[in-house]
Amino acid sequence: MPAKDIYAWPPKLFPSPGTIDNYIKIFNSSPELLRYILNSTIIAVFTTVTIILFGGLAAYALVRIKFRGSFSIMLGMLGVSMFPNIAILPAIFIVFKNLNLINSYPSLIIAHTGLFITMAIWILANYIRTIPFEIEDAAKIDGCGPFDIFWRIILPLSKPGIFATSLIVFIFSWNEFPLSLVLLHDNDMRTAPVGISLYPGEYSFPWETISTATFLSIIPVLIITGIFQKQIIGGLTSGSNK
Amino acid sequence: MRMIKLFTIFFLVFQYASIAFSAETEITISIGPRGFGKMTPRLIEEFMKENPQIKVNWQKISDVPNESRKLYVTNFTAESEKPDIISVDVIWPGDFAKRGWIAPLNDLFTKAELSKYNQSFAEAATVDGKLYAIPLYIDGTHLFYRSDLLEKYGFTAPKTWEELISQSKTILEGEKNPELVGFVNMWAKIEGLFMNWLTFFYGAGGKFFDEQGKIAVDSPEGVKAMQAMVDILHKHKIANESILTFKPNDARVLFQQERAVFLMVQDFVISPLSADDSPVKDKFEITRNPYFEGNENSHSTTIGGYLLAINQFSEHKEAAAKLIKYFTKYESQLESAKISNKAPTINAVYQDPSLKGSVLQILGENYKVGVVRPSAETGERYNRVSQIMQAEITEALHQRKTPAKAMEDAENQIKRFLPSERK
Amino acid sequence: MQLDYFKLHRNTRIGYLFVLPSLLVVIFVLVYPVIQAFLYSLKPEYSENSEWSFENYANLISDDRFVESFNNTLIFTFFTIPAELIFGLVIAVLLNKEFKFRGIVRVAILFPWALPTALNAIMWRWMFNTEFGIINYGLISIGLIENQLNWLGKEPLAMIAMMSVSTWKTSSFMALLLLAGLQTIPKDLYESAKTDGASDLKSFFYITLPLLTPAIIVSLLLRTMDALRVFELPFNFTDGGPLNTTETISLYSYRVLFEFVEFNYGSSMVIVQFILIMIMSLIYIKSIKNIDY
Repeated sequence: MPAKDIYAWPPKLFPSPGTIDNYIKIFNSSPELLRYILNSTIIAVFTTVTIILFGGLAAYALVRIKFRGSFSIMLGMLGVSMFPNIAILPAIFIVFKNLNLINSYPSLIIAHTGLFITMAIWILANYIRTIPFEIEDAAKIDGCGPFDIFWRIILPLSKPGIFATSLIVFIFSWNEFPLSLVLLHDNDMRTAPVGISLYPGEYSFPWETISTATFLSIIPVLIITGIFQKQIIGGLTSGSNK
Repeated sequence: MRMIKLFTIFFLVFQYASIAFSAETEITISIGPRGFGKMTPRLIEEFMKENPQIKVNWQKISDVPNESRKLYVTNFTAESEKPDIISVDVIWPGDFAKRGWIAPLNDLFTKAELSKYNQSFAEAATVDGKLYAIPLYIDGTHLFYRSDLLEKYGFTAPKTWEELISQSKTILEGEKNPELVGFVNMWAKIEGLFMNWLTFFYGAGGKFFDEQGKIAVDSPEGVKAMQAMVDILHKHKIANESILTFKPNDARVLFQQERAVFLMVQDFVISPLSADDSPVKDKFEITRNPYFEGNENSHSTTIGGYLLAINQFSEHKEAAAKLIKYFTKYESQLESAKISNKAPTINAVYQDPSLKGSVLQILGENYKVGVVRPSAETGERYNRVSQIMQAEITEALHQRKTPAKAMEDAENQIKRFLPSERK
Repeated sequence: MQLDYFKLHRNTRIGYLFVLPSLLVVIFVLVYPVIQAFLYSLKPEYSENSEWSFENYANLISDDRFVESFNNTLIFTFFTIPAELIFGLVIAVLLNKEFKFRGIVRVAILFPWALPTALNAIMWRWMFNTEFGIINYGLISIGLIENQLNWLGKEPLAMIAMMSVSTWKTSSFMALLLLAGLQTIPKDLYESAKTDGASDLKSFFYITLPLLTPAIIVSLLLRTMDALRVFELPFNFTDGGPLNTTETISLYSYRVLFEFVEFNYGSSMVIVQFILIMIMSLIYIKSIKNIDY
């Protein structure tokens, strides 16, 4: 929306369409934006993959292997992830600083994984629960070990759950702000939301630039959403009919 | 085992080599890309040309104080040695100095170097007689008025609040435009609210700390200031209740939409108000913030702005001081005044012939009667004090407390947090 | 007996092995900060006394602003979560039906949630502006109200506005979780219900709802945890105002931690919030256990 429309009185219901000019302008004035988007993509992709692998294993173990203490572990993990995010900043910064990992991708990937993995486990556990036991039993009779069962049966069968979870984790990681701000604060390490937070002045809020930059920055999110949403639908039922 | 040893040796050699060959000092300056953004890369480049042994990195941070503060607090609690130089909001030096986060600069600068800056502004960075930050640019509140409307009714720019109120009433009655308000300002519960109350308070002849250094909020002047704000809203009704949600930019927009006669806000509004497509272009003027009758000499221009300070944990304080001197010297300030309209902190720059007739000279006059928030005196408790003031002022503005009660409550609460007051 | 014993033993080992990676990351990232916050919270902030004590917690009770932020957080959560659930359910059920451009609609519906909260909040703040916001303008134009409503400057209005924005933003997240849950319900159940002559509404209440319950509870759990920690919305939308009526615990504790830099007092606040979230979550978890175990 051009700035003129935003300050118009009376307000305009339908703003004049966003102009290509804006997009060209933003790339000319701040070519770093592409770099920020790339950083965010790297962080979000690695976080998502790690979470699905680790979290998937854990979710499977927690609902299907049913070992002593499994529920307590699940509760304990849920417990600590209830901790208000804003309060962990100084402590986590010191940990990563001592490891010399500030301004490196691994720091934020590890941090995001820790923040969002519990949520992922709870969502995934829900889908794994709905997989009929018979399929698993059949595999056991065929001599599959627990990891084989997880890899060959559980993962493919919980596809809608996995894609839904991936999408959620991806977006959470993409939009996470406070940790991204302190862990990656070098000019070329910033994530997209932190980069965009450099656009507002102390008093002014340049709508044109910020909304254009934001739309550009969520293009990867939209692509991922587009790809994943197809998978979310109709994964399980077709799978179990095989 | 041998492999490990080999690696260790290799690593050590590599480390020493890299230290030996890098004769240059590397320092990082942390400053926002908007506020001083146009100047920063230029000054860094010129500085590195003059000082080839120093390499300067620019770490961009948000210009929104809340965001950059998060980063600073986290960095300092971890005792990070980077960034070496930080840009600080006017209300931070007292706080950061008391916590031992920024270094005193008296040994790095000469007395003559320090005395050329706007004294009111430098006060905000003076803690226990030592200076902790060098003023970079000022940004204060001024009164903007619709010169066309005032002229139509035969008024000149108001000097006092009494005049401003009566002029507003006459104009509102005459214009009969339900969309027009007399006075607009930012009265949302934000830092700016405290600034505005201070403008009223100092304009009434008040002082936050009296001669004995005791807090004097609950004083006739404090109550008078508070009462005036309440009356503007509820008795004279020259402001709308929406003012209670306004931040600086909201106030600016209302004025720009030709819907306000007077606007009191920071000088950032000058460029949008005078832009080519601005409806109020050529219809507004700037003057000094009003005071109450009989207080001509009061300092009623509440000023803010940014300063540069050196990280206490920095390993390159000398190089950092050198860069700060470069950033804040006369020529740099003049250039920044011309290029990005930043008001200089060195008084003499306003007299520069090349600025003759520019709006900056009006601002410069106003800054002579500048006042800063009591951030140096209250040190690490400043934000507490400010939030207490914001809360109590808001209570009065919402008419949940009388002005007298609000001021009394504010003073009592502040006393609890200030060690100097506890005795 | 012997065999079962071995099996149990082996399962436990494999179980732990599978959980270990997740557990390690969580411990690494979260456990240290939690312990540190707890230790901080035991050091008195305002007195010279350096002994460990519960002084900060005692101060919390007499801190009116904290009590208010506590209440605001609860009010906010109690009203937004059910609203989000209802909208989320409706969206999920609609999206589960076959129709043209379903794919595009599904992407579009996620839009509010995918946009960064801060930007959303600032955008809405603009629209709710009393003087030049589109909401007042629209309401006056269609004759619903006569005078401008001071949305963000009047007491219940600001909270209502904030709840609406939150619902608008997160209903689609709820819908996404429920949609994936809907997929696990076998289609033939609906078909046989249809042949038995059950209406759509009836099959919704007798088939969809009961089978969706686990997904509903997990999404309620996750959303409640987030609602009790809501920060960016009040921070950018209302600044906690008017007065302190929309200030949440997270917003106040942010101020204490980063503006006042009172880590000890701020930590006690965070710990109380933490306990509050745990208690709320236990209620949900108990209901999960009832269903599944």
